[in-house]
Amino acid sequence: MNDDYLWDKTGEPDPQVQELEEILSSLRYQPKPLQIPNELRLPQRRNYFPWVAIAAGVSLAILAGGIWLSTRSHGDAPQRQAEVTPPAPVKEVTPSAPKTPERKNESPEEVVAVHKHRPRASVPVLSKREREEALMAKEQVMLALRLTTEKLSLVHKKTQNTNPANQIKNQHRVG
Amino acid sequence: MYATADMLLTSPAPAAPEQSHETAIEVVLVKAVLEGDRDGFTRLYDLYAPLVHGILLARVPRAEVDDLVQDIFLHAFKKLHTLRESSSFGPWIAMIARNRAVDFYRRSRETVEINDELRGSNTQDSRATEILELIRNLPEAYRETLVLRLVEGMTGPEIAARTGLTAASVRVNLHRGMKLLREQLGFMEGL
Repeated sequence: MNDDYLWDKTGEPDPQVQELEEILSSLRYQPKPLQIPNELRLPQRRNYFPWVAIAAGVSLAILAGGIWLSTRSHGDAPQRQAEVTPPAPVKEVTPSAPKTPERKNESPEEVVAVHKHRPRASVPVLSKREREEALMAKEQVMLALRLTTEKLSLVHKKTQNTNPANQIKNQHRVG
Repeated sequence: MYATADMLLTSPAPAAPEQSHETAIEVVLVKAVLEGDRDGFTRLYDLYAPLVHGILLARVPRAEVDDLVQDIFLHAFKKLHTLRESSSFGPWIAMIARNRAVDFYRRSRETVEINDELRGSNTQDSRATEILELIRNLPEAYRETLVLRLVEGMTGPEIAARTGLTAASVRVNLHRGMKLLREQLGFMEGL
């Protein structure tokens, strides 16, 4: 049987299909005007890029501020030490020198060693392993900072060159 | 068996080349509406109201269809900004109509549909309602396509373009659905 008529109404008409069309045409859609209330306003497509850019900028500022504060506290420590600790005591503390009351139980070698490597007032003494971990942590923070900078740059570019038609592809969710 | 075939035949597919013209109109109209042109939405309504009407007619009581068509287009107007791909307006509003039909039955399970449906104002109307009821008893994929073809008078390519189905799927649905409908009508006198 030739089914072209059923498919696109071409070819030899199928009498059964024609009869069905005729009977069912009484149920066909009757045009009626769509009443859109005047107070009904079309919401605009939301552009989230400015908000993302602001959020990224604030995050970057906080991160940069934290790093700057951390760096500054590291830089201040030697200065304070220089002010407080005169260079002379290193020479004064010898095995023959009298022991200070606070260091009664220390051997002379220990005293020398302590004075030669006096820990900074604000920086804890780190073992080699701890120092390596700290350096790795610093590397990670720097990496995170670089990534954040790249992302902010990307967001900035997108914000400057927004094309609504190409914003989002592959719409599947409806309703 | 039908369930598997239905799932295959109702899966949305990329637009065929012959659908490009209609898709271009959609894109222009959707863009115009999003820029504030309310008349553009009226044109979209004129284009797609028969599709929505047919989809609903295949599922809900006839008396409810006209009101639901209006509701669906008002809902679509409010939600148009969520349509991410303007060329998908047809499949999008078709899906809204299908979902709304499901919601209709969730909200009014106690409604006895058949009694209302069988009331016809004249012989032809009554006959049409009987045949529509037969179509509604067919598998879902066939019933929607048949209603769009036989009631709304759309051609197969038009159905494919507006619903987002492939032309091949629509063709198979039409032919298998028509075969089943002929079998059903064989039990009735007249045709």
